[in-house]
Amino acid sequence: MGVTEQFKKDFNTFTWVLISVAIVLNIAVGQLVSLLKLPIFLDSIGTVLVGVLAGPWAGGIAGLLTNLIWGVISSPVAAAFAPVAMVIGIVAGLCAKFGMFKNWWTAILAGLIITVFNSVVAVPIRLYMFGGITGSGADFAMAYLLALGKDLFGSVVVTVFTANVIDKVATAVLVWGIIKGLPEKASARFPRLVRA
Amino acid sequence: MPLQTADLSLFIKGESCLHSVHPLSKLTYVLLTGVAVYCAPGGYLPAAILLGINLLLAAVSGILLQVWKFSWRTLLPLALFMIPIHGFLNPDNHTVLISFHGAGLYLEGLVFAGRVLLQLAAVLSISLIFVFTTHPADLITSLTQAGLSASFAYILGSPLLLLPAMRERAKTIQDAQRARGLGSDGGVIKRIRSMAPLISPLILGAFAEIEQRAIALELRGFNSARSKTSLRVVPDSATQRAVRKLMLLVCILLFIYKIVPYQYVSY
Repeated sequence: MGVTEQFKKDFNTFTWVLISVAIVLNIAVGQLVSLLKLPIFLDSIGTVLVGVLAGPWAGGIAGLLTNLIWGVISSPVAAAFAPVAMVIGIVAGLCAKFGMFKNWWTAILAGLIITVFNSVVAVPIRLYMFGGITGSGADFAMAYLLALGKDLFGSVVVTVFTANVIDKVATAVLVWGIIKGLPEKASARFPRLVRA
Repeated sequence: MPLQTADLSLFIKGESCLHSVHPLSKLTYVLLTGVAVYCAPGGYLPAAILLGINLLLAAVSGILLQVWKFSWRTLLPLALFMIPIHGFLNPDNHTVLISFHGAGLYLEGLVFAGRVLLQLAAVLSISLIFVFTTHPADLITSLTQAGLSASFAYILGSPLLLLPAMRERAKTIQDAQRARGLGSDGGVIKRIRSMAPLISPLILGAFAEIEQRAIALELRGFNSARSKTSLRVVPDSATQRAVRKLMLLVCILLFIYKIVPYQYVSY
């Protein structure tokens, strides 16, 4: 199947609505999670869900637009990290293609893979645009690593990875749980779920 | 598009000249600023000049105070971490400025931190000016007029309308689970376990609605290939179109200047 055909098949009205809802979920879910006071934001759970249910293209678009819309409604800094969110959606979609959201332990693996690609894109943005600092708690880790004598690049890589790994693994496992618990009526809508 | 989108976004109602500039012209200028700050020659200079221009633009359109406040809120935490971390710990540090008890404040790190903050200030200020002076609906309309598909316009615009309802629902779930004894107290394991009961009602509830929304859209001709007419008209002019093209050209040139090794350019 050609790319355009796959694109048309993936993007029916249902998918567009799914993307729109997922963008809102990304933004709204933080409010719920903050209650638990954990270092977890789950701000890409909608993106990963779309990637798994509707493919990498849809996932990428959901991620990209989430951050751009964030830029319009709360802080332009989020828009600078839009490419990162896009990659999360694409990689989640590809992981699902290889059936990684079928078990909880492959979902953990998928979370790790997402973190790796997330870091590959986030590190240059953080390093060149922000000098490695984003004004959050993760900056203490940066300071510690630099004090240990690591170079700037290495410190940013380690900081970005550790700051994201728990969040992305939790996201992947939750997505696995959600698609497992999806009612038949909804899951029948996604031909990709048979493989995921 | 209903007016409530404006309340949710950072848009500030106004009558200034920047408010009436075509959204795509402003967006191109934001892009130009970003490219110029990171690609143009002259170290500090482009960022400093552009920041000056941006502050002037903000003052002219009467939003200087808001831009100023918002910039501080974003840049101050960054600066608080940036200046000490790079001043003391930047790996390129050589020249000691002040030294006490073995720890030294270095010139190179401070210069680096200053440059990054200046660049960020330039890009942030113009992004804020764009967001403050552009109604989201105008932006979406102008994008559709420029050839963006209606489906894309839908996923750009509809989240702004869905968000208040979703936040309301998140609040309800939060209250309901709290009433059942779910809270921030208890061990880490307990809190991790209570993540699923918080998240899944929100997501499954939202999923239940997707089908209805999709059917409602299809009934209204969402899939129709014919071009839709818009109630909203965003004024544009030949001059603005020309300026946009010019700005894009400058962006491309600056980018080429940055990525092509210097010795090939100046022979």
